[in-house]
Amino acid sequence: MFKIDYGAGGAVVLSGRLDAAQSPVAQAFLDRVQGAVTLDLAGLEYISSAGLGVLLKTHKRLSAAGGKLRLAGASRHLLDIFRYSGFDQIFEIVPSS
Amino acid sequence: MADLEPILAVATKLAAPFDLETMLAEVADAAKRVLHAERSSVWLYEREADELVLRVAADLAPVRIKAGTGLVGACARGREIINVPDCYADPRFDPSTDRRSGFRTRCLLTLPLVDHKGLLVGVMQVLNKTGGAFDAADEALGAVLAAQCAVALQRTLMTAQLVEGERLRRELEMAHAVQMSTLPAAMPAVAGYDVYGTFIPADICGGDTYDLALIEQGLLVVLGDATGHGIAPALSVTQMQAMLRMALRMGAELETAYLQVNNRLAEILPGDRFITAFIGLLEPAAHRLRFLSGGQAPILCYKAARGACVEYPPTSFPLGAMALPRSRQAVAIDLEPGDVLALLSDGIYEYCDFGEERVRELLAAHHGKSAAEIAAAVLEAVKAFAAGAKQEDDMTVVLVKRAPAASRVFMRDLDSLEKIFAFAAAEVDEELRPAVELALEELFTNIVRHGRQGEAPVRIDIGPIAGGVEVSLVESEADPFDPTRAPEVDTSLPLERRRPGGLGIHLVRKVVDSIEYRYAPESRTGRTTFRKTKGKADVQD
Repeated sequence: MFKIDYGAGGAVVLSGRLDAAQSPVAQAFLDRVQGAVTLDLAGLEYISSAGLGVLLKTHKRLSAAGGKLRLAGASRHLLDIFRYSGFDQIFEIVPSS
Repeated sequence: MADLEPILAVATKLAAPFDLETMLAEVADAAKRVLHAERSSVWLYEREADELVLRVAADLAPVRIKAGTGLVGACARGREIINVPDCYADPRFDPSTDRRSGFRTRCLLTLPLVDHKGLLVGVMQVLNKTGGAFDAADEALGAVLAAQCAVALQRTLMTAQLVEGERLRRELEMAHAVQMSTLPAAMPAVAGYDVYGTFIPADICGGDTYDLALIEQGLLVVLGDATGHGIAPALSVTQMQAMLRMALRMGAELETAYLQVNNRLAEILPGDRFITAFIGLLEPAAHRLRFLSGGQAPILCYKAARGACVEYPPTSFPLGAMALPRSRQAVAIDLEPGDVLALLSDGIYEYCDFGEERVRELLAAHHGKSAAEIAAAVLEAVKAFAAGAKQEDDMTVVLVKRAPAASRVFMRDLDSLEKIFAFAAAEVDEELRPAVELALEELFTNIVRHGRQGEAPVRIDIGPIAGGVEVSLVESEADPFDPTRAPEVDTSLPLERRRPGGLGIHLVRKVVDSIEYRYAPESRTGRTTFRKTKGKADVQD
């Protein structure tokens, strides 16, 4: 089950599985965020290219307005995916605390 | 009663455990001494041929006469003493022997040798009584002696038969041990496969053998059957197996190994012996079994997708029948999930004419079971069919079964993803799951996006392979669409130029071991297959 919402510290918390069927849900939520946004991915178990597409589209929109998307707390598996897709060169990746 | 003493002396002597040759000589000698004759001979009766046999010397062929022929034959038929006091005056006497030997036979006493159960053992003949002809007293004395000799000879003959039986029994035991020693001690473990072999010797052991062994080139699969029974064929198949393993261990190709073994066997096997054999090598990762079969047939492969057997003919004549000038190309069998290659020796097909059709039916009925269970079902059916008839030949079963894939169909809809993940969770090890799930999603969403509405659902097969899984996405009634030909994504582009498209297949390539696409135009079926194994790190950039 995929969930996306604001967390206690202002970050956007994603949890569960972000697959092609859930990416419209993520997209709809992220279309509303502004500025420099941190995504807390500690609870995100899975992401596919559809989810990466949502992150890329959002990051592009925010960058154009001087903002950005930071990715925090990603698991080893997610970090691999970011690396394979070159996202580690596009996004600021915050190591898990 | 002065003559009693030599008789008793003879009785004591005849009680000794002589072999047949010695006993015959002793009996002849006793007759000569007791009846004061110049010469004597002892003929043995052979019931089956109804002939009397005289062993002249160890290195000469024995003399044979039909019962009823001549004086000896007449004595055997009538079982009565024949006393001929003047041979040349008697028409029953055949003087040709005298003419050849130069000996002059004056008188003859011919006595039947009948044992205490009334069985005719042979005929004893004494020639030329010293100083006259044989009289009534000699006949009486001879009768007593003949009875003694008959019992002694019968006892010796029976002992000889027992010894011969024991020798045969030991040889069969040895043949059995030789045969058993060539069989695998345990079934090799081949990931994604279930292999099983079993061998049930007939009473008289034949020359079957089988092999299932993991070697460098793959899984060696052998079923062999040498002509004949006993220790010689057992040794021949053992030789074949040893040579084969040796050739393969030295790195020979299947074709070369087969050629060499065949030609060597042609040199060393006796002219009337040959070996029918299936020799195959399975590459488990490629699911391809290549084989050569010298006269071993039928080769049946149950195809799970078709629900029926495919039969392959042998590739050439039996091994060792004659030398091959050059190697022949091996035949390849591609094993799909759930397929069963069944190699059965002719001891099964020919057991009361059990036949091929019954084997095909059994495979169709039991293919879903384990290889051991399928073999048991076949043997049980053969036994039931034979209904107690004697097993004339060895029965050997060798089965190579590719593990069936778990298979599910999914509607072409992104809502199916949840069900696909649940399917993967049930079939795939946790360690491999992230990669398999990602690959499944990317390939499935590709199909959904590129396919037309209302097309047939997508089938997903997940089957085990060594250390991992093989996953296929099968689209029927589809146009060719090869996802592996998507252009490479340049992941080093700056943000402005990055597009999400094409990233999916790029990621799949990164996380799985291999991926391939095959399209069958005749059934308009596209199949994308990827493999993922443990311990293999994702491909690095």
